[in-house]
Amino acid sequence: MELKRTSKELLNELLEKHYAGAFLAKERGEPVAWCTSISPQELLTTAGIYALYPENHAAAVGARKKSEELIQYAEGKGYSSDICSYARVNLAYMEVLESEAGNIPKPDLIFCCNNICNTVIKWYENIAKELDIPMIMFDMPFNHEYEVNKQNTKYIKGQLLEAIGDLEKITKKKFDHDRFAEVMEISTETSLWWKKASLQARKKPSPLNGFDLFNYMATIVCARGTVEGRDLFKLWHDELEERGRQGLGPWKDGEEKYRIMWDGIACWPYLGDTYKVLKKQGVNMVTSTYPDSWYIVYENNDLEGMAKAYSSNYVNRNLDFGVDNITQIVEDFSLDGIIYHSNRSCKFMDFRQFEVQRRVSERTGIPSVIFDGDQTDPRSFSLAQYETRVQALVEMMEKRKQEGRD
Amino acid sequence: MYLGIDIGSSSSKAVLLDVQGQIKGSAVVNVGTGSTGPKKVLDSVIQQAGIHIHDIRKTVVTGYGRMTYQDADKQITEISCHAKGVVYLVKNARTIIDVGGQDAKVIRLDQTGSVENFVMNDKCAAGTGRFLEVMARVLDCQVNELSHLAEKGHEGVSISSTCTVFAESEMISQLATGKPIEDIALGAHRSIAQRIVGLANRIGVSEEVVMTGGVALNESVVNAIEKEIGLPVVRVENPQVVGALGAALFARDLEK
Amino acid sequence: MDRVAELLEELKTIARNPKESVEIALRDTGKKGVGCFPIYAPEELIYAAGAIPFGMWGGPIKGNLSDRYLQTFCCSVMKANTEQALLKQYDILSAVLMTTFCDTLKCVMENWKVASPQLNIIPIVYPQNRKTPSGIQFFQEELTRVKKELEEKLNCRISESDIQRSIDFYDEYREKMNQYMEVVRGYPDTIDAVTRHLIIKASYFMDKKNYIQKMDELISELRKRQIETTGREKRIILSGLMAEPEELLRIFDENGFHVIGDDLAQESRQFREEGPSEGTWQSRMAKRIAQQDGCAFLYDAEKTRGHLLIQMKERYQADAIVLIQMKFCDPEEFDYPILKKELGEANTPLLYLEIEQQMDSPEQIRTRIQSFAEMLA
Repeated sequence: MELKRTSKELLNELLEKHYAGAFLAKERGEPVAWCTSISPQELLTTAGIYALYPENHAAAVGARKKSEELIQYAEGKGYSSDICSYARVNLAYMEVLESEAGNIPKPDLIFCCNNICNTVIKWYENIAKELDIPMIMFDMPFNHEYEVNKQNTKYIKGQLLEAIGDLEKITKKKFDHDRFAEVMEISTETSLWWKKASLQARKKPSPLNGFDLFNYMATIVCARGTVEGRDLFKLWHDELEERGRQGLGPWKDGEEKYRIMWDGIACWPYLGDTYKVLKKQGVNMVTSTYPDSWYIVYENNDLEGMAKAYSSNYVNRNLDFGVDNITQIVEDFSLDGIIYHSNRSCKFMDFRQFEVQRRVSERTGIPSVIFDGDQTDPRSFSLAQYETRVQALVEMMEKRKQEGRD
Repeated sequence: MYLGIDIGSSSSKAVLLDVQGQIKGSAVVNVGTGSTGPKKVLDSVIQQAGIHIHDIRKTVVTGYGRMTYQDADKQITEISCHAKGVVYLVKNARTIIDVGGQDAKVIRLDQTGSVENFVMNDKCAAGTGRFLEVMARVLDCQVNELSHLAEKGHEGVSISSTCTVFAESEMISQLATGKPIEDIALGAHRSIAQRIVGLANRIGVSEEVVMTGGVALNESVVNAIEKEIGLPVVRVENPQVVGALGAALFARDLEK
Repeated sequence: MDRVAELLEELKTIARNPKESVEIALRDTGKKGVGCFPIYAPEELIYAAGAIPFGMWGGPIKGNLSDRYLQTFCCSVMKANTEQALLKQYDILSAVLMTTFCDTLKCVMENWKVASPQLNIIPIVYPQNRKTPSGIQFFQEELTRVKKELEEKLNCRISESDIQRSIDFYDEYREKMNQYMEVVRGYPDTIDAVTRHLIIKASYFMDKKNYIQKMDELISELRKRQIETTGREKRIILSGLMAEPEELLRIFDENGFHVIGDDLAQESRQFREEGPSEGTWQSRMAKRIAQQDGCAFLYDAEKTRGHLLIQMKERYQADAIVLIQMKFCDPEEFDYPILKKELGEANTPLLYLEIEQQMDSPEQIRTRIQSFAEMLA
């Protein structure tokens, strides 16, 4: 009988296997692709191409505090400190191919999808050029209308079909549409369990310590089309549901006093510091704008539905939708406040933040603060500033509680 | 006599050279363009050399304030002048790291001593003398005491921020948590060295590496730079006047 | 003043006074005006609608109204546009076409819907996969959609033949602009760097029919003159988003540089690609942009920009390339290290100049340009 593992253990196991598997694939002479975090991995999984995610790798490098040397290397090559630090880390790594934080093998194919930003197009263009490898690029037009419209989904579906053709040429194998249907089903299920797990945080107190969302994020990125990934998220969901049933909060030691949303990605080099400052004051990050971005759900074999799902993530939508989305989150998760990470690396998120903050504040009345940080560049963060801002937020949330306005 | 005068934003330097290329006078005055600085520094070198102003045959002016200086025969940029001055002092120089009060530049030379490429930072306080001023304020000492303070440090406290304002708050936080002032000084010196070397890496560093500018007077910064690049840095006497020396050499060339 | 000087003065004045020039153009023609965001816009459609397309490439303005929407690390062109919009300087326009070539542009579009709703914003999304069948199809549908929006906002009907005629006119305009760029190479003193830029910039604030008339006359007058052989021995090609403000270009003139050609989004990239003369209006416009390469804002997995610059350098016997890096412009920032490597391998001297549109310290730029001149000597 198999030993029952926790989802945490399974998570670590899965990630280890993921990275080891990439090197094994390379040894077997199988192609490895570098992909953006919300790309149509179903196609690669079906075609038997091993997918790796530089954003995951950069985040891990940042979290293990090994990003600075790679960033300096990239800047030495002429990359501006203005550009995304994931790109700086990865473009350096592409040459150096060595990091104490862990390695990934060189790619044979680029699989790029710009639903997360246009920066990835430039970043991956450079890799394709430097390594002289083919690039498959999915252009997901920015949804300036409230909904993702048919003109866009038609275009994306066309690109999916074109990509399938490209993959057949690259692998010299016919694309297995039965396998495709299988992978689509698993992927959708995995997304559903990810979403269900994250929804457990709606309970008061939340059984989910939101910083775990950052930890589990790596697998929703890389294991979405796999049975192991699906099982991991189901397990995590079940654990959280059980904790919730028992009325357990996010931490063994300490009570959840305030519930907030964290807008943006983590400050990976300061994960511990940023977490501790919040926990010390009983502030639990119960959700963020990120979970829904991997809620990629569609009817089986519905390519156009798949196209629509991939184009629907938060940052690829217009401001009206974004504000409605966050306003709904405030309600669903019973939030007391919001912390906005003004991430120096992410202009796509940042240049809407001021307006989003104003409108959400107006609609919900809950307090919020913005702090300056960066996802992987440790030089663009001030712990003193962060602490001050969090303290200010707590004081505002405290005041609201006292006045019975929460 | 040949005069080279380097008018920066916060200081003025001058060098007088005779026909054989011997330095007969050199001076630094801590006021720059648009002030009495240029005049003061000129008077100083004339006095040192024991000459009369009419003895000056040719003048070349360089630096930020070169466009408004009236009495020069030619104006040449500080890039070319630093290269000229350094090669005169260090024949095999290939990389020049010049760090002044508010800017930093790195110049790459080819084997003939000509400028091959250069990169400048004149917008950001990090990696310039300005950062040392901020450091001195936080550590409550004079700028010229910083090097000595850092020398006494054992384990440099990490000051990681690119931004000088953030770095300042980092230093203050470290002081508040009781870290020894010497260790903070050591860490801050490493930080400025990292910014400077970051700039240098954009055009590549190769031996001989020479450092010039006012910040070169700070031994701890120079040591920290050596550690960062893994190469020895050649020190020159009077690093602040190298630009003016180059200008004076160009002035001498005008006569040939 | 001779006729050449007169024409140059006229065009330079127009370029230097965008707001007044737009007002004059609207008043003189009785047409409506439609603003066009960078990088590329379907001007042909606007022209077919009987309106005048005007360029919106920032300005020398500095202020803090745009701080309400955009952090400090936003490119100065978009900050300036936003500042001007908030000061209601674009209110004389009947509509504004906003694009999505980079992440900043997408955010600016969303902010403007709230900040300046009176501007009748029409979004247009150029496909990044512009060469594939699905991309061409998408863009044709996008152009059809934008045509409808223009009809609504301008209260007019645009016929297919109007658009075909307009595309023919634009094809002619582009052909002429390419010819002019060849001709002005022979007159580096009369058409110095500042002048060269301003005569192109003027086209953004005029009815193009009027502009082409002036340019025709200018060229025929210039051709009557002797080719200018000058002391400007340092021939350079400028590459980047845009080479402004004119103080920057004056420094090139002062240091003996001759701008022999450009690969600037605001200048040659607008007209160097000529489109097919046959097909539906949508396909003609879609195919033209599909053909265009060597631009930081158009997806290009082969990154042919370096190759293009080396070709240009050889064709015009340029001595160096100057990369004008607009501060905070991510697409251009990504291209630089690749270009640096390729141009280095081709032994091409390269000056990398970081600028902001509101240049408050010309001295810093002057030092770099002068040092580069000294280096090349």
